Amino acid sequence: MRQKIRTTLQQTHLQKILLLFTLLISSLYSFGQQDLEKELTNTNPVHEKVFATFKDTKLINSHTNETIHKNELEFKVDHRFGDIGGSNGGIKQFFGLDNSTDVRIGFDYGISDRLSVGLARAKGATAVQQLYETSIKFRLLEQTTDDYIPFAVTLFGSNTIAAVHASDDPAAATAYRKFTDRMNYVTQIIFARKFNSNFSFSLTPGYLHSNFTAFRDQNDLFAIGAGARAKISKRMAIVVDYSIPFRNRADKEYLEQTSGVKFYNPLGVGLEIETGGHVFHLNFTNAAAIEEMQYISQTTSSWLKGQYRWGFSIARRFSFNKKETRQ
Amino acid sequence: MKTLKNKLLLLLGICLLTMHVHAQDIFISKNAAVSFFSSTVMEDIEGKSTTASSVINAKTREIIFKVSNTSFQFKKKLMQEHFNENYMESDRFPFSKFSGRITDDTDLTKDGNYTVNVEGNLDIHGVTKPYQCKVTLLIAQGIITAKTAFKVKIEDHQIKVPSLVFKNIAEFVEVRLSAVYQAKKT
Repeated sequence: MRQKIRTTLQQTHLQKILLLFTLLISSLYSFGQQDLEKELTNTNPVHEKVFATFKDTKLINSHTNETIHKNELEFKVDHRFGDIGGSNGGIKQFFGLDNSTDVRIGFDYGISDRLSVGLARAKGATAVQQLYETSIKFRLLEQTTDDYIPFAVTLFGSNTIAAVHASDDPAAATAYRKFTDRMNYVTQIIFARKFNSNFSFSLTPGYLHSNFTAFRDQNDLFAIGAGARAKISKRMAIVVDYSIPFRNRADKEYLEQTSGVKFYNPLGVGLEIETGGHVFHLNFTNAAAIEEMQYISQTTSSWLKGQYRWGFSIARRFSFNKKETRQ
Repeated sequence: MKTLKNKLLLLLGICLLTMHVHAQDIFISKNAAVSFFSSTVMEDIEGKSTTASSVINAKTREIIFKVSNTSFQFKKKLMQEHFNENYMESDRFPFSKFSGRITDDTDLTKDGNYTVNVEGNLDIHGVTKPYQCKVTLLIAQGIITAKTAFKVKIEDHQIKVPSLVFKNIAEFVEVRLSAVYQAKKT
C-alpha cells in the first residue's frame, strides 16, 4: 500500500516536471516570427485625451466644452434673421431675411490649451442692446479614451455690459442709474461626453445674474441646457441644443401679463459644416438673441407659432504658433 | 527514477539556455521617432511622434515598426485635430504599422555601418501597400541605430483630401523614421 502511494507521488512529481517542460518549450516557440509584434506592447499612451468632442466652442446657442488651443485666435460671426412665420414673418418680410434680430462678432484667444478668453460685440435682441461681452473659459477635466475620466468638464464665465442709452421709464429693463447696473454675469459648468466618433452630448447647468432688470424680472436665474452633435458625414453634423430657465412662476405671469409676451424655452437645430480651419453653422432657432444673458431668459418667440428664424455662424481659426524650422 | 529526474533537469537547463540565446536576437526600440512633412506653396505641415516602437529579429531579419496615430504632435493643434479626425480617422485606425524584412545578408550582430534594403508592407489608414526602402544601420556594441526616409502617396492609402484644402496638402508626404534598438533583456 505504502509503496503504491509513493509511486503515485513520484508520478505526480514527474508529471509536474513534464508540464513545466512543455510550458517552457511552448514559451520558446512563442518567440517565433509571428509573435514578433507582441514585443511591441504599450505603444498607446495611457489616459489619452479624447479630441474634438465638438467642432466649435458653441453648438447653436449653447457653449460646448471646447476651448481654443494655445496661441490660436478664433474669429466668429453669428447672425439671426427675423421670424420665418407668424405675425412678423411670411413673404412680406421675405421669411425673416429682411430683419436681423441679433448679430454678434467675437474673438476668442487661447492663452493655453485649457484656458481661453473672449471679447465680443452683439447687437442684443431685447431692449437691452449694444452689448459688450468679455468671457473666460477653462477646461477643468478632459475625457480620456480609456474612460479613466468618463466626461469633460469646462467652466464658462462672462460679463456682458449693455451700452444702450438709459431709459426714463423706471420699470424698463434699461432704466440704468449707474454704470454697474449695466452688467450681467453668466456662469456655466459644461459637462460633455463623446460617446463615439459620431455622437457627443453636453449638459450645462448655469446661473445668470443681472445687476438691473425690468420691474419684477428676476436678477438671479438658474438654468439648464442640453446639447448634442451627431455626425452625418465626415465633415457634416446635425447639432441640437435646448435650454430651460427656471423662472419664478409669479414673476413670470406678471411679466407676461404686463408686456403681452410669453416666455419660451430656446431650442436650436442646425447643420454644422467643417472644412478645415472654418466651421459653418446653418441653423434654425426660436431664440432671437445670441448672448447667454438674453437667449436663455428672454426668448419670447415660439416654434409652434412659426417664430423661428434662420441663423448662421462662421468661425475661422488663426494660428500664431511660430513655424518650426525644418531640420 | 533519480537519473530520469536529473536528465529532465539537464534538458530544462539546456532549454533555458537556448531561450536566452534566442532572446538575444530580439532588438527593441521603445522611443523611436517618426516625422512626416507635407510641403506645398500654401502651407508646410509637419507631424512628429517620439513614442513609436519597433522590433528587429536579428536572426530572421524581420522588422516591425508601429506608431500610434494620436501620438503625432503638430505645431498647430487644430491641424493635429484635423489629422486625427478627418484624415487618419484615428478612432477607427489607431495605429500605422510597417512590417517587413531586411533582404540583405548583413550580420546584425557585427559592429559597423551598413545600408540595407528593407521590403515589406505599410499599413496606414487601414490600407496596406508594399514598400521598399533603403535603411542605414549603425551597429556598435549591441546597439543598432536605424534611419530611413521614404515618400508616401496619401491617395494610395485612401486618405481623402477635400478640394477646398487640396492646395494645402501635398500629394506625396515625406516620412522619416529613426530608431535606436537595444537587445531584449531576459
